[in-house]
Amino acid sequence: MNYIILLFFIFIIYSLGSALYYMMNDSGGGSKRMVKALTIRVAVSIALFVFVLFSFWMGWIKPAGVA
Amino acid sequence: MQSRLDYFVPEGSYWPILGSVGMAAMLGGFASSLHGNTAGTVSMILGFGIIIFMVFGWIGQVINESETGTYNLQVDKSFRIGMGWFIFSEVMFFAAFFGALFYARTLSVPWLGGDGNNLYTGEVLWPEFKSVWPLIQMPDSTNFTVPKGIIEAWHIPALNTLTLLTSGATLTYAHWSLMNKNRIGLIGGLIATIILGVIFLGLQVAEYMEAYQHLDLKLTSGIYGSTFFMLTGFHGLHVTLGTIMLIVILMRAIRGHFREDRHFGFEAVAWYWHFVDVVWLGLFIVVYWL
Amino acid sequence: MSTTTTDLQNEIDAIEGSHISHNDHHHGPEKGLMRWVKTTNHKDIGTLYIWFAFTMLLIGGAMAMVIRAELFQPGLQLVEPQFFNQMTTLHGLIMVFGAIMPAFVGLANWQIPLMIGAKDMALPRMNNWSFWILPFAGAMLLSTMFMQGGGPAFGWTFYAPLSTTFAPASTDYFIFAIHMLGFSSIMGAINVIATIMNMRAPDMKLMDMPLFVWTWFITAFLLIAAMPVLAGAVTMMLTDRNFGTSFFDAAGGGDPVLFQHIFWFFGHPEVYIMILPAFGIVSQIIPTFARKPLFGYSSMVYATASIALLSFVVWGHHMFLAGMPIGGQLYFMYATILISVPTGVKVFNWVTTMWRGSMSFETPMLWAVAFVILFTIGGFSGLMLGIAPADIQYQDTYFVVAHFHYVLVTGALFSIIAAVFYWLPKWCGRMYNEKLAKIHFWWAIISVNVLFFPQHFLGLAGMPRRIPDYSLQFADFNMISSIGGFAFGASFILLTYIIVDCIRNGEPVKDARVWESAKGLEWTVPTPAPYHTFDKPPSKELILAESSHIHVEGVH
Repeated sequence: MNYIILLFFIFIIYSLGSALYYMMNDSGGGSKRMVKALTIRVAVSIALFVFVLFSFWMGWIKPAGVA
Repeated sequence: MQSRLDYFVPEGSYWPILGSVGMAAMLGGFASSLHGNTAGTVSMILGFGIIIFMVFGWIGQVINESETGTYNLQVDKSFRIGMGWFIFSEVMFFAAFFGALFYARTLSVPWLGGDGNNLYTGEVLWPEFKSVWPLIQMPDSTNFTVPKGIIEAWHIPALNTLTLLTSGATLTYAHWSLMNKNRIGLIGGLIATIILGVIFLGLQVAEYMEAYQHLDLKLTSGIYGSTFFMLTGFHGLHVTLGTIMLIVILMRAIRGHFREDRHFGFEAVAWYWHFVDVVWLGLFIVVYWL
Repeated sequence: MSTTTTDLQNEIDAIEGSHISHNDHHHGPEKGLMRWVKTTNHKDIGTLYIWFAFTMLLIGGAMAMVIRAELFQPGLQLVEPQFFNQMTTLHGLIMVFGAIMPAFVGLANWQIPLMIGAKDMALPRMNNWSFWILPFAGAMLLSTMFMQGGGPAFGWTFYAPLSTTFAPASTDYFIFAIHMLGFSSIMGAINVIATIMNMRAPDMKLMDMPLFVWTWFITAFLLIAAMPVLAGAVTMMLTDRNFGTSFFDAAGGGDPVLFQHIFWFFGHPEVYIMILPAFGIVSQIIPTFARKPLFGYSSMVYATASIALLSFVVWGHHMFLAGMPIGGQLYFMYATILISVPTGVKVFNWVTTMWRGSMSFETPMLWAVAFVILFTIGGFSGLMLGIAPADIQYQDTYFVVAHFHYVLVTGALFSIIAAVFYWLPKWCGRMYNEKLAKIHFWWAIISVNVLFFPQHFLGLAGMPRRIPDYSLQFADFNMISSIGGFAFGASFILLTYIIVDCIRNGEPVKDARVWESAKGLEWTVPTPAPYHTFDKPPSKELILAESSHIHVEGVH
């Protein structure tokens, strides 16, 4: 379970990081690489959120709480 | 690329020294107010005001220079690199606090309970202490507040996650609109993002009030309260900064700044917002769920 | 051969000429004090940094004199133990954050644009701010000494709970001073990275860069990664002290050892922040006076990068006795010893550069050679300390003090002195008094060894550090060490005289190339270096010809 979330995270950080890279390197010229990378990062983040909710609904994970 | 001859080296400026004076007044005043000195509080507020004045003056001058075409692409690139590495320093700042959380959860709290080769530590120091996370019963709570409970991931935090994720989407919409020369979309997307940011902050305040008033979960609630408030508080500070920057960007967008091929100010702020958003996602999962 | 030489000579002449004929194009420096407050010029800011660092060096040095005077004889002699602790603490903090680091940033400001053919630093206004935070932060740090309860007295590593539960009220000022110093360093480092990535002459590839530029490039990365972690550590200290958190308090579930982990995660890269630019300086000076290109340039670059990467994964060797699992001790020991490989590569390269060179020993070269020898001694004692079982004996003794003073004084500080002697004629257009400088060198080199070498013996015999009093069996070596200390301290009076004398009355230097066989773009601009340089980037041919590491056949 944790590994799946971790995998999501690696992907999110990768797309966020590549957006930063494009921001630093594509000065001028109207390159769309940055906004594309950011779109991917938003999409994957929402997917992760939905996945966490779904896992909760299925009873795979429990939120932290006082036992 | 334009000629390197055009690289803009500004004339001397008073902004930096003003910033230093403001910073010294603010931080020195803060330290002094921590020891009950009213003059310190005054100095802190004054220093803060100077810094705000300096930031707006300085950034305003930069925006002005940018809009009047003083900067060539090489200058633009310097700003980009500077922003990128500044973000890296922010990542490392957050890393220190996340590191503290991981260390407490996986190492020091279990060790206090006698884990690993620390059986004797547990026996000698606090034999009653049981290592659990979230840590409610501290080893010795004489000087600390024992909370009645912790914030449920289900309530405000989930809502807040939804808010921030949506704001990421609206910001991306604004970004695409800018690229596609859709001014209305740009401004509308930015306004939506700002509103969502403010909602997030409002909910965060409500959550803190709930924690303090009903749950007795405070900064003083041992390592759980410490890491909880430090991480979420530090993140909240960044959301506040991000919202202010978005408002500046919105003002500029309304004035017709930014071209579809030249909009570094927008890109920097947008990236910052996405970064803050991802940090929240990490917080949501690590602090509230796992 | 002749065509190339003539062409290049023409270009150099043109660079020099442009400064004479186009002078009216440029604004020279402003008049008056405000020039220094408002300046965005990398040379002005570099000068400010270096003078600030020198002032702090003298203040921190005065504190060291108090320490050595107290330790001259056993028994409490001159100062209260609490004041003694303040001296050791502030001496360390001021030397690290006030002297060594700003001095390197100052050298970077002066030299990096000149060495990569850039007009200025990439973000000049921010550059000004990086400097002008320092005097305020330094003043805040020093002011703690005069506050009620005295200044910080918990050692420069400010371990919790000494710095939280048991610290004087002034600690909060100290915390904010650290915040400001860190902010300044991060901005300075961002500027260095942006300058090197973006302002390099278009025809200069990364592997054409002089080694000083390379080492600073990597150092800037270390600064940006490490300083925020320190800021995080002091922030947690602040909340532990004032807002009731328990990060470093076991009663609330925290851990004082957590502080040590965070501190040393910053602290170990920090020691490389203070030595990598020194490696760069020495790698510039030795080829000049050995009259040979630098041996193993690319291995130098890779070695620097490996040292930097390794520096993030070895912090635990400062904490062998803090209660670390045995597996952790083994890991940190092996990782630490691994660093000696790239460091060894560097030392061998310097020695090989000198091998069969036609050496001459002007003052900068003397300091550089002293660096290679004495830094290596400091490196060896570092290896000894890195061995976990042996460290049980050495931990917190004078052996550690001797080790890091060999690395930081005869390493970092000596390289800064070497750099100043090497580039000062270029900066101010005057030559220092070679005879006096040589006298100063021998004075300093003998006294510094008298000062620090006996401390190895003291440490091995078990004398703890940060203690104002000691057992009688340590008396002789302490007295010898103190005598060395006073002599070394006095040598700085002579150094001050030599530098001021050079700037005011030194013999004017006309040659662009101050040292006959020096290579590098900084030697193609006129002497003294004009206020603005490299409006036009240098050509590829010139860059290659001025490279101190690739031997271009037939080009002087």
